[in-house]
Amino acid sequence: MATAAARQAMSRPSLLRIIPRPRQQQQLISLRFSSSSSATSSSPPKTPEYAIPDPSRPTHFGYETVTEAEKRKRVAGVFTSVAESYDRMNDLMSFGWHRIWKDHFVSTLNPGFSPLSGSSPSGPQHILDIAGGTGDIAFRMLHHAHVVNANPSVRVTISDINRAMLSVGKARATTDLPASQQEALSFVEANAENLSQTRPLQPILSETEQTFFDPATATSGIPDASVDLYTVAFGIRNFSNIPAALREAHRVLKPGGVFACLEFSKADKWTSIFESLYKEWSFRAIPLIGQLVAGDRDSYQYLVESIERFPSQEEFRDMIVDAGFVVAGKGYEDLTGGVAAIHRGMKPRK
Amino acid sequence: MASAAVTCSAGAARRMLLLPPRPTVTLLRPSVPVTRSLSTTANHSSVCRHSHTQQQSIRSRHIRPESQRTPASQLQTRAYHSHDHPAPPRPFTEAETTLLSAALQHVPEHGFGPEALAHGARDVGLLDISAAVLPDGPFSLIRYHLYAQRTGLAAKKDDLFQGTEAIMTVSEKVEALTWARLRGNEVIIGKWQEALAIMAMPSQAPTAAKELGCLADEIYYLAGDLSVDPSWYTKRASLSAIYAATELFMTTDRSPGFQETRAFLRRRLDEASSLGGAVRSVSQWLSFTGSAAVNVLRSKGVRI
Repeated sequence: MATAAARQAMSRPSLLRIIPRPRQQQQLISLRFSSSSSATSSSPPKTPEYAIPDPSRPTHFGYETVTEAEKRKRVAGVFTSVAESYDRMNDLMSFGWHRIWKDHFVSTLNPGFSPLSGSSPSGPQHILDIAGGTGDIAFRMLHHAHVVNANPSVRVTISDINRAMLSVGKARATTDLPASQQEALSFVEANAENLSQTRPLQPILSETEQTFFDPATATSGIPDASVDLYTVAFGIRNFSNIPAALREAHRVLKPGGVFACLEFSKADKWTSIFESLYKEWSFRAIPLIGQLVAGDRDSYQYLVESIERFPSQEEFRDMIVDAGFVVAGKGYEDLTGGVAAIHRGMKPRK
Repeated sequence: MASAAVTCSAGAARRMLLLPPRPTVTLLRPSVPVTRSLSTTANHSSVCRHSHTQQQSIRSRHIRPESQRTPASQLQTRAYHSHDHPAPPRPFTEAETTLLSAALQHVPEHGFGPEALAHGARDVGLLDISAAVLPDGPFSLIRYHLYAQRTGLAAKKDDLFQGTEAIMTVSEKVEALTWARLRGNEVIIGKWQEALAIMAMPSQAPTAAKELGCLADEIYYLAGDLSVDPSWYTKRASLSAIYAATELFMTTDRSPGFQETRAFLRRRLDEASSLGGAVRSVSQWLSFTGSAAVNVLRSKGVRI
């Protein structure tokens, strides 16, 4: 925490300061992006330079600019520190509304649905929940597939880069889920930017152990075209290299597979009054709640800053299209005036 | 109030009533040559339409030279047929169209639901989960049916009129087109009640109502109706109501060839035209009486 003093200085931004800085960042993203859009329209999808992870490339961590490697390390620190109180904090910060979003996210995806006539030619569904940590989405997916759609063949893999978060999820699964659903659930440690290097979840044995996944210890990988549904809920904004993660999602999905992302977005779809109330709440109340409940102001300061820095609905939709997905309609669905948004894309058949 | 309405100019009344833009009629500008090619005209379609073979009578309205027009890029799209506004983007992407048109084939058997979508996805080599990419699930399928049927009317037009277009009246054409559209529901009529129920849901009702308005506009456009007075609205509103009622009637009609529905439609259209005639007579009497009253007052020296 060498920069703790610097972060402390930024921890109470005035609204005046909040507005201009993200704009600079958005510009950065769109610039990086526009340079590629012409290249990807021609058919052979060559990975553009910005979508190849580079530990020394600058990216943003909240309002700070750090290298991709540094961001990975710091995000790991944030989530290791908040893992225990993560679910409680979500309830407090969103007044419990995140449950509504997550339920909506899962029920509109309708995992496990299969028409009764004729068995599926593509085999049992495999759902990959990236940054799934504490299992919120994965457990809902399992419930929807196994109970609502009565399809026990659906498997769910929870992947996270952080063992501390996965361990919380694993503990919840053993207490909350029926045995049949635990059977269908697996936990892997992986970096979403490179899913070819994974390993099954290793229990954390000592306090001092590194909880962050090291690719050198990988024992397995997720093969190409092996996943029906790739979900990432409130995770993608923490990634060091989002274009790389989107391309990796494209790689592991089967043709016809669906990429679905639930993420905080720009809350400007209702009125500016709502937006400014929302910003007041995020920048004043959330770090305070974090300090009081989780005893960690910095992590929640990072959380709200990273939300502010995340691209708008349209920009993120364009990033998804750039990674080779096709979208339907406008490509996203706003929730609660754009506080969160669901982006969906389908990997087209070649 | 009546006197104000009577004395203000036609243009002002048009602005006050927020009427649709008035087409420039040949009679008003006889000296301006027809400069726009047919292909340019076709680009100026609207939300409700994408490509049409256009009637000469409608085309002849395009007599303003290109230089007097605002570039299409600076204009907003319109929810009705407009030759002066750019075409809106297609409401369905290519991937959606492929999936939805395949799914539509399964609707007569499986209804407007996830089954039809999953079967459609399998047909085009996709996965059961692929339909999850659609923004509104089963409603996307209904919306696609409405859209495909509506835009398909233009192609059916020539078959319907079979060269008798010149001698048919607008109301005859409206009836023929409305009937053609209703026949479009024939294959899925067994599942149409559930679709109507989904369309009536609060989250979907605005889209469904807009689509109905577009259909009425499409029918009047194809019938060659050129009215630019308040009847532009009343015609579309009454046709929308008649269409919605007839569509509902059709879901319970068991008569061969849906004759009962046809008769129902004709009765409703007749009623609308006789009611429309009555309204016209009353408003004509009112406007005459109003202007007479104003003139009487003016003759007494009142400054109106």
